[in-house]
Amino acid sequence: MQLPEAQVAVLTTADSNADRPITEIADEAELKPETATRAAFELEDAGLLAVTERTETSIELTDEAHEYLETGLPELRLYEAAVDAGADEEPVSLGQLLGEAGLDGPAVDIALANFARKGYGEVDSGSVAADPTADTETDGELLALESLAAGEPVDDENILDQLDRRGLVERSDSTVRLVQVSDDGVTALMEGVEAAETVDRLTPELITSGEWESVEFTEYNVEAEAEEPPQGKEHILRQTANRVKDVLVGMGFKEMEGPHVDAQFWINDCLFMPQDHPARTHWDQFDLESPDQIEDLPDDLVENVRSAHLEGVGDDGEGYHSPWEREVAASLDLRGHTTSLSMRHLSGHAKGDLEPPERYFSVEKVYRNDTLDPTHLLEFFQIEGWVLAEDLSARDLMGTFTEFYEQFGITDLDFKPHYNPYTEPSFELFGTHPETGEIVEVGNSGIFREEVLRPLGVEADVMAWGLSLERLLMLMYGFEDIRDVHGTLCDLELLRDVEVVY
Amino acid sequence: MPVVDVDPDELRDLVGTTKDDDELREDLFALGLEFEGWTEDDEFQLEFAPDRLDRLSVEGIARSLRYQYGTDRGVYIPNTNDAEWTIEVDGPPAERPYVTGAVVRGLDFDAESLESLIQVQEKLHATMGRQRAKGAIGVHDLVALKGTAGAEGEKSITYTSMDPDEETFVPLESDEELTPREVTERHHMGSDYVDLVADLDEYPAIYDDLGLFSFPPVINGRRTEVSEQSRDLLIEMTGTDQWTIDHMCNIVCYALSARGGQVERVNVEYTDDTSGEYAGHTLDRPDFSVKTKRVAHDRIESIIGVEFDAETVVDCAERAGLDATEYTEDGETIYEVDIPPYRVDVLHPLDVIDDIGRAYGFNDLEPTYPDVSTVGGRHERSRLEDAARDSLVGLGFEDLLNFHMISQEENFDRLGISPGDDYLGGGEPVTIREPYSEAYEILRTWALPSLLLVLENNTHREYPQHLAEIGLAAHLDDSANTGVEEYQTVAGVLAETDVSYEDARARLQALAGAFGAELETPPTEHPAFISGRTAEVVFGGESVGVIGEIHPKVLVEHDLELPVAAFEFRLDALR
Repeated sequence: MQLPEAQVAVLTTADSNADRPITEIADEAELKPETATRAAFELEDAGLLAVTERTETSIELTDEAHEYLETGLPELRLYEAAVDAGADEEPVSLGQLLGEAGLDGPAVDIALANFARKGYGEVDSGSVAADPTADTETDGELLALESLAAGEPVDDENILDQLDRRGLVERSDSTVRLVQVSDDGVTALMEGVEAAETVDRLTPELITSGEWESVEFTEYNVEAEAEEPPQGKEHILRQTANRVKDVLVGMGFKEMEGPHVDAQFWINDCLFMPQDHPARTHWDQFDLESPDQIEDLPDDLVENVRSAHLEGVGDDGEGYHSPWEREVAASLDLRGHTTSLSMRHLSGHAKGDLEPPERYFSVEKVYRNDTLDPTHLLEFFQIEGWVLAEDLSARDLMGTFTEFYEQFGITDLDFKPHYNPYTEPSFELFGTHPETGEIVEVGNSGIFREEVLRPLGVEADVMAWGLSLERLLMLMYGFEDIRDVHGTLCDLELLRDVEVVY
Repeated sequence: MPVVDVDPDELRDLVGTTKDDDELREDLFALGLEFEGWTEDDEFQLEFAPDRLDRLSVEGIARSLRYQYGTDRGVYIPNTNDAEWTIEVDGPPAERPYVTGAVVRGLDFDAESLESLIQVQEKLHATMGRQRAKGAIGVHDLVALKGTAGAEGEKSITYTSMDPDEETFVPLESDEELTPREVTERHHMGSDYVDLVADLDEYPAIYDDLGLFSFPPVINGRRTEVSEQSRDLLIEMTGTDQWTIDHMCNIVCYALSARGGQVERVNVEYTDDTSGEYAGHTLDRPDFSVKTKRVAHDRIESIIGVEFDAETVVDCAERAGLDATEYTEDGETIYEVDIPPYRVDVLHPLDVIDDIGRAYGFNDLEPTYPDVSTVGGRHERSRLEDAARDSLVGLGFEDLLNFHMISQEENFDRLGISPGDDYLGGGEPVTIREPYSEAYEILRTWALPSLLLVLENNTHREYPQHLAEIGLAAHLDDSANTGVEEYQTVAGVLAETDVSYEDARARLQALAGAFGAELETPPTEHPAFISGRTAEVVFGGESVGVIGEIHPKVLVEHDLELPVAAFEFRLDALR
């Protein structure tokens, strides 16, 4: 019969005609007590071993008892001092004896009580008389303490009770498991048992040789924490961006891309932002020193846009009462929004003329000359999306954006009428924060004005919206300082520990 | 966005309502005026989008609320009396050729209403007036003015030019007789607007019979200062665009009319040889004429997404302070809509539709999902970038996201290269004009400097630090339309105590293999890397980047106490 090594050791060490404690077996078989105990129970399950339990009282000396073993029991010290001082003949003052016996504090009371109890003498009116016949050499309590300290059993229950009352011993009950080889066990032993091999690592050799069938696997502590390996991880903001992209692609949007450095023409003029509008300074875009001007703008489009600014669009349209210079339009900036990409696409300059219906989006960087603070960065990602179709209404816009925001847990969208130079009607979007429940601004939207679309050659309607990806991230995941995440001041630990987005 | 301070009690008086503060705030929010907080004087601070500049005063906000409550309906035009005063325009600086004006009589100011008049001027200056460059307002106590008498008893003042050093007057908030140039140099208000006149040989000036009383757009004279005792006012506005100052003037006149003032017209007489487009013309101001827009019923329905009957459209228009008259043209229902003269935001029929939608209540609309189907998809570049990022993460890199803007020092100096060098990263950078911060003055020409900065800022964090970034790099390129070549760059750094060139080579090799790119790494030199442990990254025979061990002088410069192996190359090389 093959048994695991520990079981073989227990079975061969145990006796077939006497109960022996498992601890003893473990010692003898050089096993850990818990290993031996587990093996014993497994052997019992197999019917090879009988396990019984017995309650044993163990007695431990207290610190006080150990102290008395060093210095002597207080009552004995008092007696010896008394005899030395001649109190076996004449009573001697207690104060004197205490000094000579070196007793003070609580030891005084202990000495006096036990001195009297054991009949070593009498104490009366501050004087001590020692009984010359007292047999202090064989004080039972002292002998019991000495035996216990030497690991020898003490059977006198009275003395043990007395020591317990004096707080010199602590008695506690424990269960002791005893084992004895059963008849089946004896038979098995007679037929011969041998240890099956236990292995730590499962090796390719074990698997291919078939040896795995006869081995036992060393048990591991499966609950212990392990050291984590270094791991690669996609940046949390990228994960969020990809989530947004997935949602938009699922809603039928195609992705746009285009230049970060672009002419104000595409960034502002196409959007019907008058050249002297406060917003053009207000948005504080980054104007470039080098390069300064775009090489070339499409002349027909420039003329259309100029005319929209100065004369308006349509029979009843009016332009702005603001100057319009081609040189301003041609000057280069870092884009302050990705609507410049929308303009390039809608005008046909990115992908050729577009026929309705179309949906386009981008999740790309924009640059604003803002003050850096926990919620504002000089560059951040803008989510931009638009739908080109015949006859779009404010209700279509609401439906599209409700659908989009619900994907991110932002519900109960509120549409507050708003003003943008490039959309009419325009709405600020407010939603309910998925965690805190507060009402927060989540984006800006509208239907592009005819002054934007007609110069680009678009006759259908276009509705558009935008929001910052960082804002969505902060709303969804509760970051408080965006600078910990985005940019060279990022904290690697925070990025390593941040939860996955899905 | 403009912020206007409004005393809620005054607002209640002007609207004629007893609503409490909370109700008012809610109604104002519905108008698009957001409560931002309280002023020290317990007034509402209201923020609003800069289209409805007619709401820059408490009087204008009260008017909007009265329309909202239905107390007022349709277009309102105040009565005006015939002109007694004339503004002659005779040779003002060609840079500031236009003027307009009005007289308002019978006012009874208290501290609040005077404060409100000052506020509307300030707010108009800040918005339509473009910090007074485009339009500047002067308000004067008419009693202190002595018009030059004309043949038929009319009185005139003159808008003209003056020598900055020859003329003198006592400006507001001063006791001193100053020349205009001294005003711009020494007066605390004058110096705020010195830029507007600094380049002019002669300064704009307005004279009455007693002499100079206004130095637009800088400051008025003290003689005509308005006080609580003033009953009749002369308003003048000068600027670079007649339409703009005329409409600023309308907004002020409407506000004063709401305070019980009687508006009296003035003649603006441009002499034949004065500059600007009105030479030889006389304008009758303020211009309270109503403009009209024709709005198609179908367009209203298609934009708002609701079917309307004509009564509802007319009702909504009237509740927006407009008047709408329905007629039919070629079988189509059209509304001729009157726009009052204080509205500066209505450029197109769509703006009227927005007003109708707001009056109808956009927020009550039921959302619909547009019934048009399109096919979605990612851009090829963005798919490539994602695939490369996935591979880098699989190779154990922590993906990073850094700013594209950086300083010259970080991008070049600290890595031992200069703009124009023939090394990776040595391109001429895109530079920002007058950057606020030295930390963000160019677009990065490569991404390794960003990664080294992250290493520098995270020396207290656990190693190894294997960082990678795929992001924008850019440099000047004459052949591009914008003058800039922008591309995605792939950069990786391995910071670890026993890292070497081979570790970087191993990962780059794996990445190249994943994309089927044939990698070669012929030796090269780069100032940021250790000589003899630096190679070009060559994919399919084309040199696209650099790989090697970062030079100790660069490590020390970045406070790094362990070796760093690194690579960087163009993403499109993986195509």
